[in-house]
Amino acid sequence: MVAINTSGNNKMNNKMKTEKINIKAALTIATAALLGVSNLAQAESSTISGTEESAWEFDSAFLFYSEVDRVSAGEAIFNAKKTFANDEVLNLKLTIDALTGASANGAVAQPTVQTFTRPSGNGQYDVAPGDTPLDDTFHDTRVQLNGQWTQLIAPDYTASGGLHISKEYDYLSLGINGNIAVDFDRKNSTFSAGFSYFQDTFTPEGGIPKPFASMLVGDSNEPTWDEEFAKTRIGSEDDKSTADILLGFTQVINRRMLMQFNYSYSMVDGYLTDPFKILSVVDNNGVSQDYVYESRPDSRIKQSIYAQSLYHFDTTVLDVSYRYMWDDWEITSHTIDSRFIIPLGDSFGTESYLQPHFRFYQQSAADFYRPFIMDSDPLPAFASADYRIGEMTAFTVGLKYGLLVNNGHELSFRLEYYSQTSTDAGFEEPGVLKDVELYSSVDAIIAQVTYSF
Amino acid sequence: MMYKKLQLTLIIPILISTTGCASLGVEPWERDLLAKKEMSLNAAPIDAALDDHVYFSKEASSGGKGFGGGGCGCN
Amino acid sequence: MNKANKANRAINLTKNKDSYSISFNAMASPCEVIVQSNDKQLAQKLGNIITAEVWRIEDKYNRYDQNSLCSVINSKAGQPVAIDEETYLLLIFADHCYQLSNGLFDISSGALRKAWSFHGGSAKNTQFPSQAQVSAALSNVGWNNIKFDEQKITLAKGMEVDFGGICKEYAVDRALILAKQLSDKPILVNLGGDLAVTGSRLNDETWQVAIEHPDIDSALNRDAIADMIVSLKSGALATSGDARRFIIKDGVRYGHILNAKTGWPIAKAPRSITVVAPQCIQAGILATLALLQGCNAEQFLTEQDIKFWARR
Repeated sequence: MVAINTSGNNKMNNKMKTEKINIKAALTIATAALLGVSNLAQAESSTISGTEESAWEFDSAFLFYSEVDRVSAGEAIFNAKKTFANDEVLNLKLTIDALTGASANGAVAQPTVQTFTRPSGNGQYDVAPGDTPLDDTFHDTRVQLNGQWTQLIAPDYTASGGLHISKEYDYLSLGINGNIAVDFDRKNSTFSAGFSYFQDTFTPEGGIPKPFASMLVGDSNEPTWDEEFAKTRIGSEDDKSTADILLGFTQVINRRMLMQFNYSYSMVDGYLTDPFKILSVVDNNGVSQDYVYESRPDSRIKQSIYAQSLYHFDTTVLDVSYRYMWDDWEITSHTIDSRFIIPLGDSFGTESYLQPHFRFYQQSAADFYRPFIMDSDPLPAFASADYRIGEMTAFTVGLKYGLLVNNGHELSFRLEYYSQTSTDAGFEEPGVLKDVELYSSVDAIIAQVTYSF
Repeated sequence: MMYKKLQLTLIIPILISTTGCASLGVEPWERDLLAKKEMSLNAAPIDAALDDHVYFSKEASSGGKGFGGGGCGCN
Repeated sequence: MNKANKANRAINLTKNKDSYSISFNAMASPCEVIVQSNDKQLAQKLGNIITAEVWRIEDKYNRYDQNSLCSVINSKAGQPVAIDEETYLLLIFADHCYQLSNGLFDISSGALRKAWSFHGGSAKNTQFPSQAQVSAALSNVGWNNIKFDEQKITLAKGMEVDFGGICKEYAVDRALILAKQLSDKPILVNLGGDLAVTGSRLNDETWQVAIEHPDIDSALNRDAIADMIVSLKSGALATSGDARRFIIKDGVRYGHILNAKTGWPIAKAPRSITVVAPQCIQAGILATLALLQGCNAEQFLTEQDIKFWARR
């Protein structure tokens, strides 16, 4: 009987090993003597593949989002993750979404029919009396790719880096990010620091409108139309950059509880205006005299603090988070997000869980937000009637049901209801504007199917 | 307004200093519950990514949990 | 306890998609044999033969069973006891392990159990012995004070031998030898987590054996760690150490692996180590020898080029 090495990966370190007793080989001999195994040769030639390298894991999800009378969107995500030996993780994600429908253009409702020019300059659309003006030409398709690599760079030090590319018909976004996390106190505490940088280019159809230029309304078939329309434009594209810094601290409180605290600082520079949004210019009776393109500052500094806590009850888990955000546009917001995970055990023939979800969101308006401009007032430096930077309250309620299907794959369904209500931040409503809805609401249904395999 | 900001930014260091206390945390063999998937901070990353996209395009705030970033023309 | 164990000796046969699973209890653990075949008769036959062998070994070497050979040897310490060839071979194997570990692994260390009681978990009913108690117990430990040859074994008075550290793994290997004689279908024998396979599954597929990831501890980086599945094509896998058997004193955790030289638990050892080797008994001993190295456990296995997973 001779000393036998049994695993295939022992070519390295042979020189070092010769000085030590080859315990493995000695044991092989002792084992052969004990078991009297004639099949020792078989064991020797066999491959034992004990590997930490896992197979690819895939997640696929489809989400359908539909607002009442407004935007509908479909979004599909395909995520592939592979864990290599030494816990290196490669994550690749493909996102495809398509959006279509109508979106508020920023103008106020009127007791009369209103006519607007499409953002492209090609044609017009009418809005019925009393209706919130919606631009129904919204449609877009987006493809996004993300790659992220995570690995241990030293004991307790995990580093991660990623790339991002997103392309729409009229928009291109390129991004990079990096993160480092340090574990200490028996890995009960983790400090992390990260940065990300995005460079976006916007090429809207019809070009970039001139801030506060009047929307050209008339017959787009007239020979002078194109020339006149071009006068309201300042270029064909513009860009913006976003730089984020994120500091995080995670602490295990006890066997049942975990907390995370984040602080983020975000600097956005460049073209932050929405080229599709306008404001109504009204007289003292609230009657529209003109529509002008909105104008926003070319920089924004956002900061936020975020706290999240997970608590494990006997079987259920409560996940609650709170975020406070503030920026130099004087927008502040509070977000509370909570999930409750209820394992149902095998009660439906397979392992399953139920997960109710509740989210509350409230924001104050940007300092330059106004629902309309009075023609008697001097023109402000910046103005936008985009309800998304106005005062609002929103909530989401949802329910998710997940179950294990064949081979431990997970299938889950999620249904959510999102309701957003714009509120009056105290603007005076002259004349006819008293009788129309200035602050409308958006109600949406979100349905999602996820399959992980 | 300014007072409110200051007050809130002060919360972080206070929380960190209190959580740095030695009585916190668990021994490695007490991680049975913490090791469960539902006890991870981002237990459903796909849901989170989809939600982030919805809220990023509908509200003025983004990020906080992770990077808020740009990345799409939906806002 | 022993009577109850024997009363529990039932064999359960379950049909799976393309295999039969035979479950039973032995050596205080849930056990399972999986044969990848739709032949029910074969499954029953395998179940009968394997359980008979495993229970035979349990009855022969269980030191808690007063009728076992092990108990007879221990109760007659000071006088020679006749042994058979199997016991002689096990003693020879134990001797190898003693030599290879420079005395750290010693099947005569059973006497130390009188001083140590590992109930684990709740630190309240922890019993921590005094050095005097440990020294007293240690005086009855020492492989060199045991004389044996092919016919008989003689323990010095007060001594005890304990085959517990090798018995289960030995039973896995024996069961596998018998299984191979009976069938060439793919078979897995799992005795409470120590397991071996006859070869790859049909179509050259591997057996998927789940192991708790050793480093699932970080709160934040957990996403970066996947559940680990060991793909076993052939060979065996054994785990040493037990997360539930330890005592805590003054904030220090003492595992149940004892240093046979000092009589004290090994400090700074991983909670458990899982090793892959051609035979289960090799895997088990390598895992135990590694644990005995304390904080150098991983280094020990790495230097020996052994595939392992440590859980700290």
